[in-house]
Amino acid sequence: MSSPEHIHHPTPAQYWKIAVVLAVLTAVEVAIYYIHRDFDLGNFNTVLLIALAALKFVIVIGWYMHLRFENRMLSRFFTGGFILACALYTIILSALGAIALTR
Amino acid sequence: MTELIHEADLDHAHPEHEGTGVEDRKLGMWLFLSSEFLFFGALISNYLLYSQRPGFEGVYPAEIYDIPFTSVSSFVLLMSSLTMVLAHNAQTREDANGARTWLFATAALGAVFLAGQVFEFTEFIVEFDMKLSTNPAASAFYLLTGFHGTHVAIGVIMLLSLWGISRRRGGLSDRQGLNLELVGLYWHFVDIIWIIIFTVVYLLSEPPV
Repeated sequence: MSSPEHIHHPTPAQYWKIAVVLAVLTAVEVAIYYIHRDFDLGNFNTVLLIALAALKFVIVIGWYMHLRFENRMLSRFFTGGFILACALYTIILSALGAIALTR
Repeated sequence: MTELIHEADLDHAHPEHEGTGVEDRKLGMWLFLSSEFLFFGALISNYLLYSQRPGFEGVYPAEIYDIPFTSVSSFVLLMSSLTMVLAHNAQTREDANGARTWLFATAALGAVFLAGQVFEFTEFIVEFDMKLSTNPAASAFYLLTGFHGTHVAIGVIMLLSLWGISRRRGGLSDRQGLNLELVGLYWHFVDIIWIIIFTVVYLLSEPPV
């Protein structure tokens, strides 16, 4: 662990507040799911749900995993792995989707 | 006495890599977690491919999801990230009792999540006859969520091990405190993977028309 005296991690009270934000975001996600079921939101549903998931993802990594307080090299490794995985599987899914369309 | 000295030496052995300024074990954990994105990415892609493909016999997973139930499971796992970070915070404040309590709470929430997954799988198999071999979409679903569940189970075992060590020794040493931080990183990672699975697999997935 990087020496605690140099890093100001959130306090327990802040961690609780972050948890409330995460819970509310999850509730909003579920609400959007049901709204979409009744009033077809189209692609807007996908955009909203992915944006909310991305927000939760960033909050957990940044505050609970302390990545925003850590050495930048760790951020680069972690985001590098994530971007690599996203790029790789986007290419694979696109390629396989294209193959399926030609059949 | 020699053992005590040896243990004390180990407690202060936090080798920081000269070039990076990051402890080796911590760097290793971040690299491991980074590589796990590729592992879960493959399983999620596999699910996306087969869950949208029409023409399979038997029920598709997206036809039988119980969203209210899975939402509660997701909430439980999300809150376990809170208890995990509170355990880490208590450890940095040298509050051994607090760290132990929050560690146990995290393991308990993880166990509740796993129990929910077992219930969900059982219901899918018994009520809807969706087995691992029913069709490729079902296989992909069980493979993805099963592997995530396995990660949670491994996390629960590590949490309970730390809790047991702390209980037996009256607290965690500096070195074991670093172990707690590493287990915490692993636990939060399992949580963020579930954030993706919950959205992509449960909320966005629809059976093929």
